[in-house]
Amino acid sequence: MEKAKISAYQLFVLIVLFELGSALLIPLALDAKQDAWLTILLGMVGGFFLFLVNYRLFHYYPDILPTEYMQKIVGKSFGKLLAFLYILYFMYMTARVVRDFGEMLVTSAYPQTPLFIINALFLLVIIYTIRKGIEVVARTGELLFFILFLLGISGNILIVISGIVDLNNLQPVLEEGIMPVLKTTFTQTLYIPFGEAVVFAMILPYLNQSKKGKRTGVYALGFSGLALTLVVAINISVLGVNLTTRSQFPLLSTIQAIQLDNFLERLDVYFMLTLILGGFFKIGLYFYVAITGIANLFNFKEPSKLAYPMGIVILILSITIASNYAEHISEGTRFISLPIFLPFQVIIPVSLLIIAFFKHKKKRGK
Amino acid sequence: MPPFFKYKKQKGHTDQSKDTRDSENHHVPELIDPSLSVNLDIIKQKTGHSSDIIVRTIITGNTPLHKASVVYVDGLVDTQAINDSLIEPLQTNHDLLEMLYQQDELDKFTKEFISLGSVHPVTNWDELFLTLMSGDTIILIDGSNKAWSASAKGGERRSIQEPSTQVSVRGSKESFTESIGTNIAMVRRIISNPDLWIESMKIGNVTRTDVSIMYINGIAKTEVVDEVRKRLKRINIDSILESGYIEQLIEDQTITPFPTIFTTERPDITAGNLLEGRVAIFVNGSPDALLAPALFIGFFQAVEDYYSRYDIATATRFIRVLAFFISLIGPAAYIAITTFHQEMIPTQLLIIVAAQRDSVPFPAFVEAIIMEIAFEILREAGIRMPKVIGSTISIVGALVIGQGAIQAGIVSPATVIVVAITAIANFATPSYTVAISARLIRFLFMISAAVFGFYGIILGFIMLVVHLVSLRSFGVPYMTPLAPFIPKNIGDTIIRTPLWAEKLRPRLISSTDNPVREGENQKPTPPKSRGMKKKNTR
Amino acid sequence: MKRKWFLLFLILTTTSLISGCWNARELPDLALVSALGIDKNEAGKYVGTFQIINPSYVTGGLQGGGGGQGPPTTVYSSTGDNIYDVTRRLSTKSPRTLYYAHTNLLVISEDLAKKDGITNILDAFERDFEFRTTAMVVIAHRSKAEDIIKTLPPLDKVAAVNVIKTLKNTESLLGEEPTVNLQEVIHYLVSPGKEPLISGLSLKGEKKDAKKVTNAQGSSTPKARLEADGIAVIKDGKLVDWIHGKTARGTGWVLNRIKSTIVNINWEKEKAAIEYTVVRQKTKVTAHTKKGQPKISIHIHAEGDIGEVSVPVNLNDPHVLRKIEIEVEKTIKKDVHDAIHRAKENKTDTFGFGEALHRSDPKEWNKLKTDWNDVTFPKLEVDVTVEAFVRRTGLRNKSYLSELKNNR
Repeated sequence: MEKAKISAYQLFVLIVLFELGSALLIPLALDAKQDAWLTILLGMVGGFFLFLVNYRLFHYYPDILPTEYMQKIVGKSFGKLLAFLYILYFMYMTARVVRDFGEMLVTSAYPQTPLFIINALFLLVIIYTIRKGIEVVARTGELLFFILFLLGISGNILIVISGIVDLNNLQPVLEEGIMPVLKTTFTQTLYIPFGEAVVFAMILPYLNQSKKGKRTGVYALGFSGLALTLVVAINISVLGVNLTTRSQFPLLSTIQAIQLDNFLERLDVYFMLTLILGGFFKIGLYFYVAITGIANLFNFKEPSKLAYPMGIVILILSITIASNYAEHISEGTRFISLPIFLPFQVIIPVSLLIIAFFKHKKKRGK
Repeated sequence: MPPFFKYKKQKGHTDQSKDTRDSENHHVPELIDPSLSVNLDIIKQKTGHSSDIIVRTIITGNTPLHKASVVYVDGLVDTQAINDSLIEPLQTNHDLLEMLYQQDELDKFTKEFISLGSVHPVTNWDELFLTLMSGDTIILIDGSNKAWSASAKGGERRSIQEPSTQVSVRGSKESFTESIGTNIAMVRRIISNPDLWIESMKIGNVTRTDVSIMYINGIAKTEVVDEVRKRLKRINIDSILESGYIEQLIEDQTITPFPTIFTTERPDITAGNLLEGRVAIFVNGSPDALLAPALFIGFFQAVEDYYSRYDIATATRFIRVLAFFISLIGPAAYIAITTFHQEMIPTQLLIIVAAQRDSVPFPAFVEAIIMEIAFEILREAGIRMPKVIGSTISIVGALVIGQGAIQAGIVSPATVIVVAITAIANFATPSYTVAISARLIRFLFMISAAVFGFYGIILGFIMLVVHLVSLRSFGVPYMTPLAPFIPKNIGDTIIRTPLWAEKLRPRLISSTDNPVREGENQKPTPPKSRGMKKKNTR
Repeated sequence: MKRKWFLLFLILTTTSLISGCWNARELPDLALVSALGIDKNEAGKYVGTFQIINPSYVTGGLQGGGGGQGPPTTVYSSTGDNIYDVTRRLSTKSPRTLYYAHTNLLVISEDLAKKDGITNILDAFERDFEFRTTAMVVIAHRSKAEDIIKTLPPLDKVAAVNVIKTLKNTESLLGEEPTVNLQEVIHYLVSPGKEPLISGLSLKGEKKDAKKVTNAQGSSTPKARLEADGIAVIKDGKLVDWIHGKTARGTGWVLNRIKSTIVNINWEKEKAAIEYTVVRQKTKVTAHTKKGQPKISIHIHAEGDIGEVSVPVNLNDPHVLRKIEIEVEKTIKKDVHDAIHRAKENKTDTFGFGEALHRSDPKEWNKLKTDWNDVTFPKLEVDVTVEAFVRRTGLRNKSYLSELKNNR
């Protein structure tokens, strides 16, 4: 664990950027059709719960990383195994998200460029950042959050005044009852993006005012949940349910639909900025967490030295995890959501909390 | 093997020569000799009989004859003052030298008869040469092992002139000169407060340059002052010719195009920064003061922002930041759009650009690079060129490179427009130092745009932001108060809130004990117009 | 430390040099396709006609060297088995890479739309990342798509821009051509509750002269010109009918697509005596089910001015204005009913009544969805209410006609 502190506001910004990073761009929760926005809101509530579980654990062990307190909770060897599994999970997710963004760039703007080069370049920038430590990541977040915020606001204003929003597309609400909505919530939105906030268990110990952590996390999740809801609702109301579900990148189609006075049109650069800035933080944080985890578990003095070798591992992993985009996406939505997300984001943290709770009770009883 | 020996031999040889040279000088004793002629010999030998060392020996009195010498460096002293208040009285008043010989009356002598500024005794040679070379006048008396150093500094100096680089329409019109005393006095005149503290030291083993640290006690952070002092003390170099030497030797990060120390030639900017808690460093011979810690946003704050009203100041700041962005990524965006993202501009505009590019033989990147380099050469030539031929440059530049290149079809008008806008935008940055770094980084952006279009530009931009936030200036993060975000100080960044709303000094820079800089309710509350009228009529 | 920086720099430069700009395309290597026409020839192959912009002739001889006058657009055509095939085969003829990001017009020939339908050809355009789904789609009425693409119009040098402006003008001033882009067409093709309408475009005059530069420059009255001509009704991807004039306008009313239009009303036996200009309109379509029977109600709110009168009428009198308003309401209602009647005859729900029902009663809709167009829609009960307001009467109140009448 490096000697660094981040402020509550920085944590807020990092959570928001992380949550929005890829969720803004991919077709999210569209199994629920026009009720996708509702699913996101429900997922957000679930996200609050998961975050509070992690926060509670942090509360029991405020100064150490999860990879360390796991060993304290379930015993040294089993805890180490668990921590190692988490590190693998973080690494896998880093590679996944790198692949996601690489694929997005290749399909949306650089069809002739090899995925390898796009990914390598992105990872190079991320390694450069990670080596400078969490403080620099957080401060970068503050600056770029501001830019993304401006982009979001101006983009929304443009969409509204170009008159392409048709709220009728959001009706009827709950066409087939609440079941599809709940099903999508528990198979998708709970994990992507809200459950992914489990990485912040590894960031929380850096917080300079640990008391503010709870509120900040909930606010950040709430903010990103609302922003996502808004974006998904706008996508559907501009494109219609049908087109939104068929789009690889609904946000890109929405932005391309903006036409104002024959001049403010073709604003694809909006999409690209959002894509790259969001991806930068999502990958960056996963990567950082994976590296700190390894450094902590195997007692490395300088985590930043791990950045280059790990970067190469992740680069290769990102290329090899799937042979095409469809396979990659179906892995993401079907294969990994229950077998991987459920244990790592829900089951393990909750059971850890239960054990920790009883341990602390016992201690206090003594 | 051979080189090793060679080296060793050489080393031994030089050592020997050094020894001989040292032994030549070695008969300079530490203390001043009572004999005047010995002393004068030593001075002459040490200065190599330099012609600007003036020695005037005065012989006076009846019996025995008393001898005294006045030594000074020609051009560093006020000759008039020395003649009037030192040599003249010594020659005419015979009792004076008499008095000098009686050791106990020396104090009386300096107090009553020498009307020069400060006079103090000097006993060892090091100090004597130091004071002599910095412009003091030395009085040596035959038979006394004490010399007197009288301050009568003078000589030709540049007078105070209008600022040349940090120009403003409103505000004071004076700028620093090369003389450190004048500069310090100019700031002192603005801040008439005993808490304005100055520490002086001499840096440079050969040049012995005067360097002063100035700060306001109670407002400046003690840690920063200590750090500045520590870093200055660390310097061990033969010469300090300009404040730039100091800057390069004390800055936090060396591998960066961005300045982490602010330089200014205006006393009012210096005063304003001192009042925010910064530390100023003055170097003799340099018309620029150094200010630390510097923030990135500080390079966009022109002095006039504070003198004009806040709404106008905010608008101009926006323009400046925008101009900085344009000067960074203007040509890069042009390259990216014309070679990668043709879909991103409206059809009509694309047709116009395409029509221009149709007959140009180079790729857009090469074209832009050619024009940028041509422009940079032009600018560099413009700076170094005698003023008389300045107009030639503009004719050659405008006609040959602008008109000619377009007509020959070597570059397209669109490229010229982009390069020209970039150049003008570059001049809109108030700080020259940051403008230069933008010039440099622009080329990197152009390369990344040529290779990867907007993807390259955005990645480059992220790297730039990461680099900027990782910088620190004397412990303060460079991008404060944007990152780390300090809402209370955001009023003086890209926006400028009214003066009456900026209640606090910048956190992280000024001392935390004394953060408030103005009273409550400073917003003007004039009476309603009707009330005014009544008052007037009565 | 220094070595690491060097390494980073080395990696960056080598990757960028090796990578050698895969996606970089210089502007002079691109052929900007401004419009694309799709026909089908006798052999059953697709024929693509590409209108390519000739930038230097569009902007005029700016560069000194390559000046002179030539046609602002060049047309290429090629044949193939599918759309992608067509576009790729064109490379044998074009020195530059075709670039579709600025294709703003897609013309489909009437024959193709009638016989094979448009369903099969749109996927390529939607899938391609260059092609914009905001491109306008039109159907060549009474002519081949090729002829339309080849026409060189006056005024706007790029033919595609000319067409788009013409259609947009028609829509905003007359309300007869609800223009659609590719995205909307696909949206309505897929949606069972609404069928697409596509603007028609026809070439009038002498077709032989259409491609000549002189057509655009020679005389003040071009011999061949493009005109907005009716709206194509598409059912199951195939063109089934053309609607024109008042019917088209009636459709516009229901679709809430009228920005401005004119309504001519009769006054005391005088036909088209008063002209009413619509300035603002708002249409609300709501669906509800009564005893298992879906019912649609349309409420139209129109505001406008008096544009012209050809009978002596006192426009100062609020009663007269009220009477005019009632007449306007009647006329609009009639247009709307005509349009609905026509649609019912075609068994094609072009108004989105199905979607309205879907929104208000999803369960009922699911039952009726499968044969909505053929069974339910033609029998659908539609209730139209119109509210029209005369807000202003122009610069004059009474017409000089009333003075003339008094003097007589």
